[in-house]
Amino acid sequence: MNPYLAGILLGIALLASYLILGAGLGASAGIARTGAYCELVLNPTRTLASKYFGNWGDQPLNYYLVFMLAGVFFGGLISALFSGRNKITVERGTKCKPQKRLLYALIGGIIVGFASRLANGCTSGQALSGSTLLLTGSLLFLICVFVGGYATAYFVRGQWHD
Amino acid sequence: MISTFFQNGALDTPAAFFASLLIGIAFGVALEQAGFGSSRRLSGIFYFQDMAVMKVMFTAVIVAMLGITYAKAFGWVNAENIYFLPTLYVAQIAGGLLFGIGFVMSGWCPGTGAVGLASGKIDALVFLVGAIGGSMLYNEFYPLLAPITQHDSGVLFVYNSLNISEAVFAFLFTLIAIGCFFGAEAIEKKRNGKSNRREISFLKIFSAFLLPAAFGLFALAEPLKTASQAPSAPSTEEQKEIKILKGIQLGSDHFEPQELADRLLLGDPGIVLVDIRTPSEFAVFHIRSAINVQVADLPTALNTYKNKGLVVLYSNGMTHPAQARDSLARLGFQNAYFLTDGLQGFLDTCLKPASLRSEPVSSAFAAKINAWRAFFLNSKSAVRKTENFSKKTGALNLSMLHLPGLVKTDWLNKNLRTTGLKIIDLRNQPEYSAGHIPGALSLNKESLRGVVQNVPSSLLPATILAEQFSLMGIHTDDFVVIVSTDTLQDATLVGMAFERLKHRRYAILDGGFPKWQSENRPLDTILPTVKITSYPVPKQPESFTVTAKEVLAAMDKPGSILLDVRPADYFTGKKRDEARGGHIPGAINRPYPEDTLIQQDFRLFKPISMLTAAYSELIPTKETPVIVHCRTGHQASQTYFVLVRLLGYKNVKWYDAGWTEWASRPELPVE
Repeated sequence: MNPYLAGILLGIALLASYLILGAGLGASAGIARTGAYCELVLNPTRTLASKYFGNWGDQPLNYYLVFMLAGVFFGGLISALFSGRNKITVERGTKCKPQKRLLYALIGGIIVGFASRLANGCTSGQALSGSTLLLTGSLLFLICVFVGGYATAYFVRGQWHD
Repeated sequence: MISTFFQNGALDTPAAFFASLLIGIAFGVALEQAGFGSSRRLSGIFYFQDMAVMKVMFTAVIVAMLGITYAKAFGWVNAENIYFLPTLYVAQIAGGLLFGIGFVMSGWCPGTGAVGLASGKIDALVFLVGAIGGSMLYNEFYPLLAPITQHDSGVLFVYNSLNISEAVFAFLFTLIAIGCFFGAEAIEKKRNGKSNRREISFLKIFSAFLLPAAFGLFALAEPLKTASQAPSAPSTEEQKEIKILKGIQLGSDHFEPQELADRLLLGDPGIVLVDIRTPSEFAVFHIRSAINVQVADLPTALNTYKNKGLVVLYSNGMTHPAQARDSLARLGFQNAYFLTDGLQGFLDTCLKPASLRSEPVSSAFAAKINAWRAFFLNSKSAVRKTENFSKKTGALNLSMLHLPGLVKTDWLNKNLRTTGLKIIDLRNQPEYSAGHIPGALSLNKESLRGVVQNVPSSLLPATILAEQFSLMGIHTDDFVVIVSTDTLQDATLVGMAFERLKHRRYAILDGGFPKWQSENRPLDTILPTVKITSYPVPKQPESFTVTAKEVLAAMDKPGSILLDVRPADYFTGKKRDEARGGHIPGAINRPYPEDTLIQQDFRLFKPISMLTAAYSELIPTKETPVIVHCRTGHQASQTYFVLVRLLGYKNVKWYDAGWTEWASRPELPVE
């Protein structure tokens, strides 16, 4: 789809979120709460006693952003199926070994998971939703994401070499 | 004005979950259609290959921003029905930089990762697993990182930070976006050798819509500004801003230390004094009666005081409280002030001994200084006055909202050996010795209550309770599970002892010992060894109890609810154990056994849905002030537990002395 049209759609979804829920979009909270849930299953006392996850109680998945993340998955699934863009694959440059690409994805994932908690949101909650409200911190976050990204891009470019 | 789930405090309801799911689906479809189910496309922006990320994100931000700004200008939304994220400079800058590194390495961010997974990308699955791990890692490091995440600067808007009007910024922002879009097209043209004609013609039309839309904000903002002079003008962001700026110029957002000292000395119940420094600073010294709230928690913590009484913020200096005050003012608090010259100013102006001052002090003022010093520096004198006063300023039990009130036998069985878990068995000694849950500590509930100021069966003061728990080897951060038999009020009474010590990590074993036993779970006859601890007595006065005087005051207040939980015959006066029968005028009877039921021989609390339904008929909102009482405080502790720990009522107080005291004091009215 034309990126501007997709952007307008995304903007309308975001606007709907603000006008209906009274809060913006969010994805990383759902991921973090899944983490809290996993820890609860493994070791409930320790999790409930921990200072961060402990605040979410014994049912961390009972949270609107968990449902939103599930929605994102299903929305993505519906759209991918309709557009024929669902193929099980490891996306990478042809000269890059899948193991290397997956290792990058894993380390990047760990960093993203950690950073999202530190900044209290990710590209959805801060960069997109916060910037929409013209919040100083969210716009700073957005700028810093690109600063961090461009500073690192050169060193990890190998994974996209064809 | 529209009504949002956030504004109604209903984001945790099934309806909100369903709405979130639908919005999430729209979000997911938009991301996938944008082509963000591909990590290659997402990383493209970092190599100037594919600028789609910038085009889509910036378009979405501009569209939603214009939408929100118009909605605000028309008065459909305001700061009350939308959640604004506070600005945390250090955390957001550090988090953003790290996030960028992770983003470019993995090629995914959380939302697009979910779409990537839906598109069959294995790298997206690995990314999501990593992100879950990263969240867990953050949880582990949180105690170290907490300081940077707690010192936030409140809700800050970039146009305020830059000192320009919202309309000007929105217009400039739109111009920048359009500039970036054409720049992105130019970059792509350079890369690919040819331009995407269809995209560019769409962009031209799109820009032609955006520009007038952004320009229209000036037209809307202008009349509102002039209208704000008139008293009947509608409430808008701009108007609030003007008010805030005017207040700053006139200094009417300050609160003078001398006035504060006088009002506190007189026990003015209308003042909510808030210390926004760190808990450790607060523990060392704070102005008497102050409550400690971190800036991030201010809007929630102070919500009940919005435009009621005077909210006075202070810190060491003036910058932080001034910013916090402005954020509160933006959220509609017209009663927020900050202390002139901060804590240091207060100490210098009011508490510095007259003899140490460089300028001469009149004898009247010297007497005042002495009175202030006696009140604010001497912990013994005037204690009663402050105690009563701080009870009125209300409870701020935020952390307990997320704790489970009940734990299941199965859960306890799995966690028996966990450190930091303490089990308290309330049965009698012979039964305890014959077999108890492994590791359970024995406690006789009667050792927690006694005659206090000649009121029998009162919960003992914190000093004695702390001593008791020290002897049991309990630490402040222990998670305590209370085990009783079918008298659930025994467990809740012990809960009140923990409340008095501000120990919120306690829960009750659902079904108690009988259920544990019937399930043939492990029992033990060995006495657990206990290492005596030194449980600290809380420094802040408690706020969950009320005295007869406060009950009397609440009787006249419309909107507050008095719940008498004694059996109906006692409520009507048909039966009585005291000098007078009947009930406190205006009280509602909700006998405590109605909150429990017997199921398979165990006494359990009724399901939350039943309790919610029953209490929503008696108490209008979760914020309504409620006082619960019975005869001695024992049964009422159960209702307190149900309301606060199971149902999340926020403003419940326990009248411990109850009917025993009320009936025996002839000056108190009886119905």
